Amino acid sequence: MGGKSDIQLIVNGKRTDGRGMEDLRDLRIEVGVLPEADGSSYVQWGGNKIVCGVYGPRECIPRHDASPYHALVKCRYMMSPFSSLEEHSRSGPSRRSNELSKVIREAFENLVIAEKFPNTQIDIYIDVLQADGGTRTASITAAAVALANAGIPMKDMVAAVAVGKAGETLALDLNKLEDNFGQSDMPIAISHRDRKILLVQMDGLLTKDQVIEALDMAERGCDKVHEVQADALKRFYEKGEKEKMQW
Amino acid sequence: MGEEVRDIIMSHIRRDVMGNTLSKGIRFDGRTFGQMRPVTVQRGVITTAEGSAIATIGDTTVLVANKFDVLKPFADRPKEGVLMTNAELLPSASARFEPGPPDENSIEMARVVDRAVRSAECVDVKSFFIEEDKVLGLYMDIYVMNDAGNYTDAASIAAAAALLDTRIPKVENAKIVRGEFTGPLNPKVLPVTTTMIKVGSSWLVDPSREEERVLETKMTIGTTEEHVCAMQKSKGSLSRDELLDLIDIAFKTGNDIRELLKRD
Amino acid sequence: MERTIVLPGEKIADGRVNAPNTFSNESGTYAAVVGMKDEEGRYIPLENRYRPTVGDVVVGMVTDVRHAGYEVDLNLPQGGFIPTRDVRLTLQLGDFVICRVKMVNEVGDVDLGEVRRLPKGKIIEFPSAKVPRLIGRKSSMISLLKDYTGGDIMVGNNGYVWISENSDMPLLLKTIKLIERKAHKSGLTDEVANMLAAAKGGPVRTREQIEGAPAEADEQRFEQR
Repeated sequence: MGGKSDIQLIVNGKRTDGRGMEDLRDLRIEVGVLPEADGSSYVQWGGNKIVCGVYGPRECIPRHDASPYHALVKCRYMMSPFSSLEEHSRSGPSRRSNELSKVIREAFENLVIAEKFPNTQIDIYIDVLQADGGTRTASITAAAVALANAGIPMKDMVAAVAVGKAGETLALDLNKLEDNFGQSDMPIAISHRDRKILLVQMDGLLTKDQVIEALDMAERGCDKVHEVQADALKRFYEKGEKEKMQW
Repeated sequence: MGEEVRDIIMSHIRRDVMGNTLSKGIRFDGRTFGQMRPVTVQRGVITTAEGSAIATIGDTTVLVANKFDVLKPFADRPKEGVLMTNAELLPSASARFEPGPPDENSIEMARVVDRAVRSAECVDVKSFFIEEDKVLGLYMDIYVMNDAGNYTDAASIAAAAALLDTRIPKVENAKIVRGEFTGPLNPKVLPVTTTMIKVGSSWLVDPSREEERVLETKMTIGTTEEHVCAMQKSKGSLSRDELLDLIDIAFKTGNDIRELLKRD
Repeated sequence: MERTIVLPGEKIADGRVNAPNTFSNESGTYAAVVGMKDEEGRYIPLENRYRPTVGDVVVGMVTDVRHAGYEVDLNLPQGGFIPTRDVRLTLQLGDFVICRVKMVNEVGDVDLGEVRRLPKGKIIEFPSAKVPRLIGRKSSMISLLKDYTGGDIMVGNNGYVWISENSDMPLLLKTIKLIERKAHKSGLTDEVANMLAAAKGGPVRTREQIEGAPAEADEQRFEQR
């Protein structure tokens, strides 16, 4: 989140990319893109390109981490060194990717019915190939689909979206520019049937009324994202032929 | 017991059973010994990079992304740009891959693909000179996304396609102006590797994952239209005559791939 | 009623129903994995992770030989175990076996019995949710495969399938992949029969001949465990 700037994020009621306040960027989801993994998905959201692979339940390594009562959910979120338009960055984890791995894992710990698989671990691997603002919400959206594809029992599906403040206006699904120069950013993940908040983070300044409005907007946004997830899974399970994957 | 240990114990039995099918001149997936699985190439996948491509051989999927930065040249070649190749085996690509720093297999693959590109001299590093102490550096990142066997050849095909897709960025005041380009990299030759393995007495081109587990000898040969530009023997041993035969196979397979790359 | 795809968390019944791959609370019963609702509104899982139940037939390979017994890879996070005292034959590392699950406890240990050693061959993975389809009604599908590919096949509920080394491997592997992809679609038995007949040049059998029952407009029901 940046500070003040001269950039006008909202002109004549439209955002810099022509969208309305509650319009999502183009969102495309494909299922089963990595045949070796137990489950996988690919999400193209605005300029974000994210691939997710799931393994498990499988042997817990190291053994002493294992719980005799339930599976451990593990998550690794990583950005590729070529994911930003700017310089090539260092390979490997950063403090940011470490934090995101944790909050994403904690979202799914609520959903996975882990008691069915004691002494095991479930691995969620998220790789951001191309980043364009909102990678963590795109990652959760991808991981939910990959877990479903892997047949890992879950209590619900989850979708995620970010609400931000551009100027004094709330807007859904911030693009990179809005993310950098807006006044607040609130990524949020909401489970589909139960409406539970499984991830929420926020920076910037919002009044309580703005938070309420943002939550309402987020619910509507998550419903739209869920439609795309459902459609992707239905397409995958209804077709019998393997189509050539266009990345 | 980890999968590695189990594989070693099982490989004798598997090799025996595979030998039964191989003796009929065919492989488990129906291919002949010299046949590659279907190859596809898609260019321009990553728009945050200056060039990229995804190549698939069967289900093996490898992404290569090329990105430029302004860097210091190496001390012994002060007027030349630099090429740096790195490979990651993504943990989602196979149950065998663990997250963490590169292991000996990914390092070997990166170095072999790099060697083929470097020897073929398809990147004109002399043209990357900017001014004293500043040159263009090209990062070639290899991401193995799904490993169904032979990620080395898939990486080299993706690397060649990515070079075809790459554009040189505009440089102003010794800084890169992202999003603006002076022209295509335009590689003059396309180096491609061909990996062959020996199982029993049969040499097989483009090993599937299952075949990799029972191989006794593995040989990777990089070619351009007219030259051998890289060789790497991994496991096992081979005779002089076998090597010369493999070079012939590598030229033929390499030329088929080059046709495909030029077509797209 | 048409077939529809069901996602995790979707309600499939009011009240508590005890069915695999579902969970219940006071408000009803919900799907826990991706599945489909068939024409009669029954929920059939399309993906699941196999959880061993006593009495299941499983296929595996011996990965450790210890004094107390044998460890068997069943494609599960933990291996199965054959206590030495429960088996008359001597097994070796790498042997393929077919056996029955005798005991499963809360921490995931699995004991095996009624062990038979399988001859030389190969084991492949097949999704456990689709195993009933591979076997077929009255074993019709698996018999079809055995007839045309010339070798024996053993299917474990755990998703391991043993194939004899005498089988026509490329044809059999290709056919099994087809069954995996189209498991929940109708007309599969016909498609498989046609594919095998075309490959082997034999006459095309009708579904009645294959299944020994009058042809129906529909195909296999999955056998729910």
